[in-house]
Amino acid sequence: MHLSTRRRRLAGGLAFITATALALTGCSPIGADGGTSDSSDPIRIGATIPLSGTLAGFGSFLQWGYQHAVDEVNAAGGIMIDGTAREVELTLVDDKSDPNEVTSSIKTLISSTKVDALLGSCTPDLVNPGAVVADSQGVPFVAECTPIEVFKSVKEWTYAWDIFFSVADQAVAPFEALEANGIETNKQVFILHDNGPDGQAIGNEIWPVVAAEQGYTVAGNIEFPADNTDFSAAIQKAKESGADIVLISSITPAAISIRKQMAAIGWTPKVIVAEKGAEPVQFAEALGDLADGIIVGAYWDPSFGYPGAEELKDAFESETGLTSSQHIADSYTAAMVLMDAIAAAGSLDKDEINDAIGETDGIYAVGPVKFDDEHAAKIPVVSSQWQDGVPIIVWPTEQATGDFLFPVP
Amino acid sequence: MNSIDPVGLANTVLGGALLGGLIALSAVGLSLVLGVMKLVNLMHGQIVVLGAYVAFYLAAFWGISPLLALPIVFVLGFAFTAPVQRFILAPVAKHGEEAGLLTTFALAIILENLFIRFFSGDSRSLDTAFSRETLAIGPINLPTIYLIGFAISLTVCLAVWMLVTRTSFGRSLRASSEDPISAAIVGIHVSRVRWGTFALNGGLASMGGVLIALCFSFTPSSGSEYLLTAFAIIVLGGLGNIMGTFVGGIALGVIQSLGAYFMGDGYRTFVGLVMLIILLAIAPNGILKRRRSL
Repeated sequence: MHLSTRRRRLAGGLAFITATALALTGCSPIGADGGTSDSSDPIRIGATIPLSGTLAGFGSFLQWGYQHAVDEVNAAGGIMIDGTAREVELTLVDDKSDPNEVTSSIKTLISSTKVDALLGSCTPDLVNPGAVVADSQGVPFVAECTPIEVFKSVKEWTYAWDIFFSVADQAVAPFEALEANGIETNKQVFILHDNGPDGQAIGNEIWPVVAAEQGYTVAGNIEFPADNTDFSAAIQKAKESGADIVLISSITPAAISIRKQMAAIGWTPKVIVAEKGAEPVQFAEALGDLADGIIVGAYWDPSFGYPGAEELKDAFESETGLTSSQHIADSYTAAMVLMDAIAAAGSLDKDEINDAIGETDGIYAVGPVKFDDEHAAKIPVVSSQWQDGVPIIVWPTEQATGDFLFPVP
Repeated sequence: MNSIDPVGLANTVLGGALLGGLIALSAVGLSLVLGVMKLVNLMHGQIVVLGAYVAFYLAAFWGISPLLALPIVFVLGFAFTAPVQRFILAPVAKHGEEAGLLTTFALAIILENLFIRFFSGDSRSLDTAFSRETLAIGPINLPTIYLIGFAISLTVCLAVWMLVTRTSFGRSLRASSEDPISAAIVGIHVSRVRWGTFALNGGLASMGGVLIALCFSFTPSSGSEYLLTAFAIIVLGGLGNIMGTFVGGIALGVIQSLGAYFMGDGYRTFVGLVMLIILLAIAPNGILKRRRSL
C-alpha cells in the first residue's frame, strides 16, 4: 500500500513536470482549433517561425511582419471570398530553429489546423523542409528569407514560392562595395563558413569564384559545423594567412563568437564581411562597438522609398520599442503577396490561390515582386555596415545612407 | 593542409589549454553531484546558462562587471538550486536513479523554455574591458580574458578541493559518496550533504556560465552543448575528482585545439570525443587516477 502511494506520488509529480514541460514547449500550435470550413470561418494562414534556438534572432521580426500584415488586412475588413468578407486568422508555431520541428509542425498545420495557405520560416534550413511538405500536399506556401538559388535547387516547385535575394548577388556585393568606395587592401580574402545549405553554397562555390573574378586571392577556406562555438583555431589560421579581408557565413551566435575571439587574440582584419549571422540587430547589441565596420548583405532600408516602407519601420519601432530589421519588410511583403493572391482568387481553392500567387506583379514594401518560372522573385542586394549599432547602407553609392567605415576599428 | 606555423600552433594550443581550464569550472559541480549523489544531472547545462543570464542582467541594469558579479552569481545559483534539490529531486530520489534523471531532464526543458519566455531567444554575450586585450609573451599572444578565467577557475577548483578534503563537510561528503548507509549510521546527515552538494553545484555551474559567456555567445538553447562538454571533462578527469576535472578541462581544450588546428574547426568536437574514447580505454578512471596508479 505504502509502495503504491509512493508510486502514485512519483507518477503524479512526473506527470505534473511533464505537463508543464509540454505546455512550456508549446507542442500545440498557438490558436489551433482544427474545425471545419464554412462561410463564417476565418481564412486560415499558418507558419512556423524560429522564436527559439540558434535562429531566434530572425523569428521575432517574422512574427511581427506576418502579424502586422494580417492585422492590416483584418482592419480593412478582411478578404472577400465568394462574395463574403472573411477575417484572416494567423497561426504561428515556434519551430525552435529545428528542421524536424518545421516538418512536423507544417504537417499539423495542414492536417489539424486546416490552413488554407502557409508562410515560410527563415533560412534554407527551416524554409525548405516546410516548403517540401506544403508542395507535396498541395498547399500554397509563400516564403522569404532563403536565397533564391538555394530554394530553386531543392526541386521543381508547384505550390511553394520564394521572395528573396540571390546569393550570387550577395557574394558580389561586398567586393563591389570595396571597389565603389575606393578601399585598398592586399586583395587576399579568408573564408569562414558553416556547413548549412547556404553556407556551403556561398563558402565553397560562390565566394571563391567571385573573389577570383574580382581579382582577389583566396588565402584560406575553413568550413565548420553550424552550431560550433570555439573558432580560435580557424581565426588563428586566418590571422596567419595575412589576409586583409575575412568573409564569414554563419548563424548569429557563431558570428558573435567569431568576432569576440578575433578581439581576444588581438587581431582585427581590415575588412570583415559576416553574412546572415550579422543581420539581426541582436548581433550589434551583443557585440557593442565590436560590431562597428562589419559588412553584411542587405536588401531593404526605409529610405529606398518603396510604398509603406517608412510607415512599416515606424509602426514596428513604436509598437515594440526595438530597432527595426529588414526582415520586417520581407515577412510583411510575403504575407501581403499571399493575401493579395487569396483576394485575387476570391476563393479558398488552393489551386486558384496558387495560380494567383504566380500572377503577382507589383511593388511592395520590400520592393518589386514578380516570380520567375522557378517560383522565385529576386530582391536587389545592397551592402550595409554596422556603425554605432545601426546598419548603414554603403553600396550602391546612390542608395548609401552613410560613409564607408575603413578599416574595421 | 597548409604548412605548420609553430607560433600559430603554440598560440592555438596554449589558448586551448587556458580555455579548457576556464570551462572546467562549469564541470566541477557536475562531477561532485555525479560522485556524491549518483545523479546524472541533465539540467546542468541550463544552470550554466542561468548564470550567464544573471550576469548579463546584472550588467545591463546595474552596470556590474561580469567578473565582479561572480560572487553574486554564485549565491543566486546556490539559492536557486537548493530548493530544487530539497523539494523536487530529494523526494523522487527514493524511487531510483532513473526518476532523478528523468526529473532533471524535464526540469531542463522547463528551464530552457522559461529562458525563452522571459529572456527571448536572442543570442547574448558578456563583455568586459579585458575581453579585447591580449597578453604578449614574446611571439605568443594570449587572450587576457582566457588567462583571467583560467586563474579564477583554478582558484575556485582549489577552494572546492580544500572544502572536500580539509573540512568536516568534505569528510561527510566523501563518506556519503563512498557508502551512504554507513555514513548515515555514524551520524552523517546524508540528505543534507546531498542538498549542499547540489546547491554547491548550482553556484559553481552558474559561475562557470559567466566565464563561458565572456568568451562566447549564449542563447536559451546553449545548455545542452555545455552539458556535453562538462560530461567529457569529468569523464576525462575522473568522476568526483576536483583537480582531475580541472586537468581534464585543460586536456580536452588542448586535444580539441590540436584537432581543430590540423583538421579544421569542423573536427574540433569529433577529435575531442575520439581522443576521449581512446584515453578512457587506457585510463578508465580518468587522467589523474591513472597517473597515481603507476
